[in-house]
Amino acid sequence: MRARDFIGTQDVTREDLRTVLDLAQDFAKGRLGGPTDGALSGKTVCLAFFEASTRTAVSFELAARRAGAHVISISEKGSAIQKGESLVDTVVTLDALEADAIVIRHPAAGAARLAARHTGAALVNAGDGRGQHPTQALLDVYALSEALGGLDELDGRRVAVVGDVLHSRVARSVIPTFQAAGMEVALVAPRTLLPLEAHAWNLPVISSVDDALDWGADVLYALRLQKERMTEGSPRVPSVAEYARYYGVARRHLATGTLLMHPGPVNRGVEVSGDVVFDHSSLIPTQVASGVAVRGAVLALATGAVGMEIAA
Amino acid sequence: MREASRELIIRGAHVLDPLSGLDEVTDVRLAAGRVAEVGAGLRGARRLDADGLHLFPGFVDVHAHWRTPGREDEETIETGSAAAAAGGFTSVVMMPNTDPIVDKPVIVSGLVRRIENESRVRAHVSVALHEGLRGERLTEMRLLKEAGAFCVSDDGLGTQSAGVLRNGMLYAKTAGLPVILHCEDHTLATGAVHDGVPAALAGIPGSPASAEDAATATALVLATETGAKVHITHVSTALSAGLVGYFKDRADVTADTTPHHLTLTDELVGTLDGMYRVNPPLRPEKHRRDVGEALRGGILDFVATDHAPHSLSEKDLPLEEAAPGFLGHETAFAAIHTELVLKDKLSLSRLIEAMASAPGRWIGGAGTLGVGAPADLALVDLSEEWTVRPEEMVSRSRNSPYLGQKLRGRLVGTVVGGELVYDRIGERVGERV
Repeated sequence: MRARDFIGTQDVTREDLRTVLDLAQDFAKGRLGGPTDGALSGKTVCLAFFEASTRTAVSFELAARRAGAHVISISEKGSAIQKGESLVDTVVTLDALEADAIVIRHPAAGAARLAARHTGAALVNAGDGRGQHPTQALLDVYALSEALGGLDELDGRRVAVVGDVLHSRVARSVIPTFQAAGMEVALVAPRTLLPLEAHAWNLPVISSVDDALDWGADVLYALRLQKERMTEGSPRVPSVAEYARYYGVARRHLATGTLLMHPGPVNRGVEVSGDVVFDHSSLIPTQVASGVAVRGAVLALATGAVGMEIAA
Repeated sequence: MREASRELIIRGAHVLDPLSGLDEVTDVRLAAGRVAEVGAGLRGARRLDADGLHLFPGFVDVHAHWRTPGREDEETIETGSAAAAAGGFTSVVMMPNTDPIVDKPVIVSGLVRRIENESRVRAHVSVALHEGLRGERLTEMRLLKEAGAFCVSDDGLGTQSAGVLRNGMLYAKTAGLPVILHCEDHTLATGAVHDGVPAALAGIPGSPASAEDAATATALVLATETGAKVHITHVSTALSAGLVGYFKDRADVTADTTPHHLTLTDELVGTLDGMYRVNPPLRPEKHRRDVGEALRGGILDFVATDHAPHSLSEKDLPLEEAAPGFLGHETAFAAIHTELVLKDKLSLSRLIEAMASAPGRWIGGAGTLGVGAPADLALVDLSEEWTVRPEEMVSRSRNSPYLGQKLRGRLVGTVVGGELVYDRIGERVGERV
């Protein structure tokens, strides 16, 4: 994989995390300049979204503009993508327009890797299918490290990833990222929301949030449960009531200082009880706020605007 | 729950308990609801002289329909448990295909409460694998378990979608509940009886053995893949038994067959009598023999009765229109004893294993007379010959396929937690000052 791509977190290292986090901090404090003199001045960033997105698309665009980049944004609606242009053709076109970075969101795992083979631009994966969502994982580590007082504070802590691991690209990105930060990870899910080979990551599998606290979780990382998993075809969960009872994070789980994270958007009353989304133990607002700084840092590294080797 | 029982010494019975290796004439002391001591020459204030009788661990039936709630005209917890006791059964699992179907925690807690008040034997509640047994949405298995559910089952209908079945197994594994499966493919099971020679001659629509075999294969494949604890109930064909054998060491799977599939065949279809409709249907002799052989060899782990009471109005009908199902509790031991043990097709010890030890292990903590075990036992006169008469049946219904038949071996007494719950011995209990 080329050094400047951000396609997945499988091989991310602690040094990579430190680089991104330091740069994100600089970005947040305005040290990378502004829209006219920013680190991305003269760079062209293309956002190619083959799947709907709100916070990811907005934070990439904001980050790119704040650092002075030209931004071209194409989405599934109102572009050739809607007319059925293929992923590869779109990427080749953007490449011909001399994009410095292409940020891609696609419904199929592996789309980012495939796109990278067809462009000289840096490729940033903004989420592909059930595959990877690396910038989400990086911003999660950033938010957690800000909350705990630095990356080193994550070392040895325990994070329980709760919910629909099976269908989640976020899970596939945060697991290796949290591990690279020195954290111990466990999965909390019914077998219907885990891969058949639930031991694929070699992690403990726990069967309720209560049990995750007994395991010693410092952080509960709740995943979004798509509504169709409960209603369509052969539902994987019997009811919201049962899911919330065993896999939902409630106020009582946060009583002893356990932190709550969620990549959004939250199904209140399902993954997280409605009254704790903005609880003082909840990092959910911090996660959203971290998106711009971390994505700015990622774009700066990807375009070569800031010269650092990174393997993520 | 029952009060702690008084001490009782059962003297002189031939005690047969495959699990603890007992097979001899000896005495057993019951105290505080448990087996307290086994050995010759025990003495005590309250004793029962059991010379000439056999004493077995109480039988365990993982498959019974007590028709409560909804069809109390056919059976109740009281009459069903009394019938179970009359057959030597001390633990029973109640199937969920009642009206309403047992698929909500509140129904389970209601049943558990009623069992405490009304049941003569230990009874466990099996809940539906999917809501309304409709084969779509999984039930709230974890909440059901908290309400007292013992296992999940799709009995009566089967699960037509392999996807739903697989999800059900995965979720049951998470919930920590065993799954009892009724294996029947409805696209194949379109008839009323086995699709064999008697059906052909009588002109009654038949269901082929493949209806059971295809569904059994699917269930076994999914059990292997998911790692769920799966029990296949009422195996009735040679191939299904063979399939269970193939998967035995590859999955957490057990299987049972019924007294009627071990002792009766589809020859009875020739009577055109609605009484003999049952699901899965009675099979030809070859299947009966092979299923019996599979039980003897341990491929089929144990016997379950599928006790299915029906009112006369549902049975006194042409075969095609009759409701499927037989009474099972009261005749199970005697029928198998008569047809298999006395004809040297099955040892008495293996029969006790199949009616007590193996299902007792499956439900946990039952089926043995080891010291410390619950004082659940069956006292049997193996030599007594009796005729199955409708007026003598304890069940509220009368649909036994053995009516009018002479069977050998009869229950004399059944004890649960040290207390007699079925009593044809009265005068044998002697109080000594």
